[in-house]
This record gives sequence, structure tokens and C-alpha cells, in this order.
Amino acid sequence: MANAPARWDLDIDWVSIGSGLGGVCSAIVAHDLGAKCVILDKSPRLGGLSGFGGGEVFVPNNYKMRELGIEDSDESGREYLDFLSAGFRDQDLFDKLLATCNEAIEYFGREAGIEWIAIEGLPDYYHPKVKSARASGRYMTVDLFDGSTLGEWQGKTYAMTPHVPPGALHKEMYAWGGLAKVTTWDYELVGQRVAEDKRAMGPGLMAYFVKAAVVDRNILAYVDTPVRELITDDGGAVIGVRAEKDGQDFFVKADKGVVIAVGGYDHNREMACQYESMPDWNSAAPPYFDGDNIVMGTEVGAAIAAVPPNNLAMFYGYNIPGEETDGSPLYRASWECGVPHAIWVNKKGERFCDEASYKDYQPRLRQWDGQTQTMPNLPPTLIFDQNYRDRYPLGSFMPGQEIPEELCVKADSLRELAEKLDIDPEGLEKSVKRFNENARKGEDPDFDRGSFSWSQRLVGDFDYPNPNLGPLDKAPYYGVKLVPVSVGINSHGLKTDVHAHVVHVRGQAISGLYAVGNSAALRDLGAGYQSGTSNMRAITWGYIAARHAMGKD
Amino acid sequence: MAVAEYSTSTKLPIETIWNFVKEMDNWADLVTGYQSHEKQSDEDSTWVLKGDLGPMSRMLKLQVHITEWNGPTRVTFELKGINELMDGHGTFEMSSYEEESEPGVHVAPAERKNFILRLLEAIARFFVRLLSGGAPERAASADAGPGAGMAKLTFKLELKPGGPMAPMIDSLIKPVILPAAEQLAGNIMARLEELHGTER
Repeated sequence: MANAPARWDLDIDWVSIGSGLGGVCSAIVAHDLGAKCVILDKSPRLGGLSGFGGGEVFVPNNYKMRELGIEDSDESGREYLDFLSAGFRDQDLFDKLLATCNEAIEYFGREAGIEWIAIEGLPDYYHPKVKSARASGRYMTVDLFDGSTLGEWQGKTYAMTPHVPPGALHKEMYAWGGLAKVTTWDYELVGQRVAEDKRAMGPGLMAYFVKAAVVDRNILAYVDTPVRELITDDGGAVIGVRAEKDGQDFFVKADKGVVIAVGGYDHNREMACQYESMPDWNSAAPPYFDGDNIVMGTEVGAAIAAVPPNNLAMFYGYNIPGEETDGSPLYRASWECGVPHAIWVNKKGERFCDEASYKDYQPRLRQWDGQTQTMPNLPPTLIFDQNYRDRYPLGSFMPGQEIPEELCVKADSLRELAEKLDIDPEGLEKSVKRFNENARKGEDPDFDRGSFSWSQRLVGDFDYPNPNLGPLDKAPYYGVKLVPVSVGINSHGLKTDVHAHVVHVRGQAISGLYAVGNSAALRDLGAGYQSGTSNMRAITWGYIAARHAMGKD
Repeated sequence: MAVAEYSTSTKLPIETIWNFVKEMDNWADLVTGYQSHEKQSDEDSTWVLKGDLGPMSRMLKLQVHITEWNGPTRVTFELKGINELMDGHGTFEMSSYEEESEPGVHVAPAERKNFILRLLEAIARFFVRLLSGGAPERAASADAGPGAGMAKLTFKLELKPGGPMAPMIDSLIKPVILPAAEQLAGNIMARLEELHGTER
């Protein structure tokens, strides 16, 4: 054996490194097929990135949308995801993913008690511009989860995250006015749910899966237990892991397989800047996603694969001074830019994108000017006016609440604001003047802002003719310098095959080693990204990996 | 408006408690999440605390105004969040044991704490400690109990969150403010008894 210990601390069949959807789903399936499993997570809580997000799972033609009578088909779903992939997908992986995602979703609903619901009224990103996009139903999520049913794990899972409202279902959020109108929500109800630990969205989604694994099935799980390296035999097959538990080496033998499900490298700034070709990098994720997938995989010869980063989930946002998560600065993706009375500008004071659609603004942020050897749209600055402040929050700062100067610059005129922010004043005045003239007509002829249903639904204010447009014409004016804020979905990952096996740089599958979720390269979906596809990939490939390891596929 | 009231007793004389409490520098660094404080006068001070908010933490800036220094029996105060929408007021009363002390109201600490709960708990802890001198944890069994002590301490704190989320925050304060007050009252006594000793 290459690096096997003299004695194993635990002899088991399946090891999930990471406790997000990929790790937990694979452990559930392996268990159900007779395997003894363990889940190891370096963080203090189970749930991974999946427990920290919005909890959407994008599954075309899913059974819950059919129950609601929402029309869809496998062909239409395939066509839509094919459009998203923009030709950068691996056809075999794409076919396998689409052929299995509904089977996996239904399995966990049936066997693991996941209370799936189809989200009504949340459109695909490209609706209505792409024919195969749907206006509703392809996103799945879960019904409210009762945190008290987690027993000892209740306090070791995410009850809520700073990024999505606690205890509120999507349909309620939309009925209350969406993210733009967070000031008008039913906080009596939300407060009651929080007090009772009724979980929704990402925390709710992961709570269902964690309960199915560690409560209902008694699958072993350890938090604060980072895996330090994979253990291989003389032939290069992965046969176990060396973890660190209570400060000591903890060797776990895995007779059937090991899955790397540790997310990506958001918190490894050097790795992220290099792989994402960005001068700076920050993350909205908790600080546990620092490239373990790349490090552990390449140590045993894994190939790294990539898709174009232009369409992934990179936002721009800010850190409220002093705000942290698990000891690391907490970065919030800025949704404010798609709300009426707010725009983004570059240093010339020019708008450069549809601020309400990150699918549009992300590649434009990456624009390279070969004449000046610069990225002219970096960093963007969020500009808004008093109309905005009268109606909408900035992060956790409600209307009427002072925003710290170190976060938000304030001025009585656009010119003064531009000078304070080192932005071209004439450019800013000109841009705002043009934006205002069109916004008052509900139009944005420059970037077509407000033309996507998803943008309207997510951050629009339906009191306006165009929910994403409103003029900036009431002083004072405000500006926030923004920084990159990733949500943990990276362009590079481990190369995997149709069984979720990790592929060696020489082309063969690495026996005993699988990778799923954001640890695996996005070759299955190519250049495309759409909310919920990351969770869908994790669930589906977790399901596939475990079945393959147990000899079922 | 969320209200918490908690009483506990000690064998220490109330003058001892008062002498400790009346100088905030005695206990400032013991306040949960303490980052800094600035004393503008005997009545006014601003505080910066780092609050543990479940999956996140943030800095809380608070203005505290003492409205009544009536030593050694009573202090009243008002508080206002500088960067949080929160107002409140409270009292810290000391009385001799002969007036009959009541044991503290014992409420099991909430096992599940989300960030808002922890925020509010931190606020509650802060204000109780502000008036008490903040002290190490004291076991509940250390309470002198009826008939055994020389002074009774009663804390009363009322918090009123503001802004559109006020109903949600208000409903969150209620289940956590009393356990927080209980814990803090114990801490007060532990610190004082550590400094001055007791006869038990």
C-alpha cells in the first residue's frame, strides 16, 4: 500500500468527504444498498454549501410540476439546458445527468422523506426570450422543515443563513413582494417560524437530507473532522482517507469508495484568482471551501477540467464592516443593482450591463480592453438615490437607518458623489440622465434591463411598470464600491466520468474515488448555469456515484 | 416590547455591589463581545460589541444613557442602537435581604439559537452586565436563596425593536431575554463573590 496506515481507526464501505447534498445523498444511497457509511466534514455543522443557500433544485419536467399541471417535457428541458451549455458540455455526462435527475429526485422523495414542492411563479433565467424556458415549476425546493426533529444535530446544522430570509417559502416571499420589498413581509409569521425552528430554503433542504441520513438511518457523521489526504494502494486505487479528528490522525478504510464532495475553492484566494482569471476574489460561502477537491484529487493524479467562467455564479457585492461568518468576512452578493432607482457604473461613470441579470453582467464585468490592458468595468460601483433608500434596504440596513460611511458614500449631487468615488463626474451625470429618461418610460434600450421574468420576480418591484427600472432623481445620492462575491460555484473542478468516477490525468478512472457537486468540473452542463442546477448536479451525481460503487450501474 | 425580569440574591452587602457597579471601567472588558467603550460622562457612554449571530457575527454600536443614579439601591437607564434599530430601557435594583428575596426564575437556556436570537441575547447580556459589572459564570446552585443572603438584585429590561422587521424581532426577544438575564445575574454574583468572598 502506498500510504496506508498500520492500523485503521474505522473500517467502512463508503466515505463521504463533505456533508452538502453530494456527500449526504451518496451516503444515503450507499446505505440503502447495504453499505456502512460515514460522513466527514471539516466544518462545525453538517450541510455544506447546500445548507447555506437558496435551496432551489432545478429539474425540468419534474413530478411535482406535473402534479400542479404545469406543462413541460424532457425534450424541452434538454433543449433549454443545451442552450445554456453553449456547446461546452460533454455529451455523455449531459445525457447521463438528464437521464437520471428525475429518477434521483423521486428516489429521495420516496425513500428519504424529502417533502419536495415545485416552486410556482419562479421562471427559468431566460424566460421568455428562449422558447424552451418555462415560466414556472422547474425549480424544486422543500416544504418547511421542523428543526426539532434533528435531535442532537439540530444545533449542528444551519437553522438559517445570512443570505436568504429565514423561515419563508418562495411562494410566500413572492406574495409579500419579493426581495426588493423585504420591508413589507409578514414578520409576525416569519418570527413565529424562526422561534419554532421551522426551516426553509437551503437550511430546510439540507435539514431534510441530514435527518434522512444521520437520524433516520443512523449513518455515522463527524463534524470538525477535516480529511487531510486520500489513502491509496500500490495500484493507485483509493482505499481510504486520513482525517484529523480531535487533533489526532483518524484513518478510515473505505472498501467500496470515497467521494469528494467538498465544494470548490472560493476561500483559496490564490487558487480562485488563478482559475477564474480575476484580480480579486471573495465568497458568500462559509470559510470551509478552500480547494480541498483540487488538492486531494491532484495528489492522487486526478485531472482538472474547466468550463468557461463567463456564465457561472459570480456576483459583485460588499462586506458590511465587522460582519463575519465563522471568523471570515461575510460577503453579501448585491441584489440591489436590479432594483428600481439603482444602477452600476464603471470608472468612466458608464453603465455597461443589464444590472438585473447576472447572466448578462458577469461576462461584461470580465471584459478585457486590449488597447489599455485593463478590465474597464472593474470594479463596478453601485449608485442609487433617495428614492431607493426610501423604499428598499441595502443589505441589513433598512430604510431610515444610517449606513456606515466606510460602506456607503453619500453626496448631495451626482457630481459630488462621483468625485468622492473617483468616478468620472460627467460620465456619471450623462449615464444617469439617459437611464432616467428611459426608466420613466419603463425602458432600457441600452441593456434591456427588466426583460427577463426571473429578474422581475427576484428583485423587481411590481409597483413599477417595469419592475426593474426607476429613475435616480432624488437627492441625496449614494455609492458603494463593490468587490467580487462568488457563491461557491467555480469553473474548475475534478474531471469525472459518467459514473462520477474521478478521471486520472492519463485518462483512466481512479478506482475507488468519486467526485460530485461543486467538487466535480461542470462539464455536464458546460458554460451554462442556472439557479438550482448546482443542487441538482449534487443530488444526481451523488445518487449515480453511490449506485455505481455498490455495483448497481 | 419584550420584557425580562430576574432576581437573585447574595450575602454581599448592597454597598459592595454598588461600589463595583458604579464604575463601568471595572467591568467593561467583561461584557460579551466587548470591543471598546467610550465614556462621555457619568451618564452617557457608547459601546461597540461583537455580537455572535449564529452563522454570522457583527459589530453592535450602542448608546447608553443612565437616567437615574440612586445608589446604592437603584439605577435606571435607556439604550439606543446606533447601527441597529433598537430602543430600550431598564432598571437595576438592590435591596436588603430583610425585604424578602425571591430565588431567580430559572429557565433553561434555549438550545437552538439563530443569529437573531443570539443578537438579542447578546444585547440583553450587554445591558444587564452594563448595570451589574459583568462577571464570570456562577452556578445556579450558588444562589443564596430565600433567607440566606444580605441583598437581592433585580434586573428589569425592556427592549423595543424598530423598523419593518420589528414584529419578527420582538417575537424572537421574548423567549431568550429571560434566560439571558438569569445567566447574567449569576455572572454578576460570581464576579463579586470572586472579588469579595462569601461565607457560604
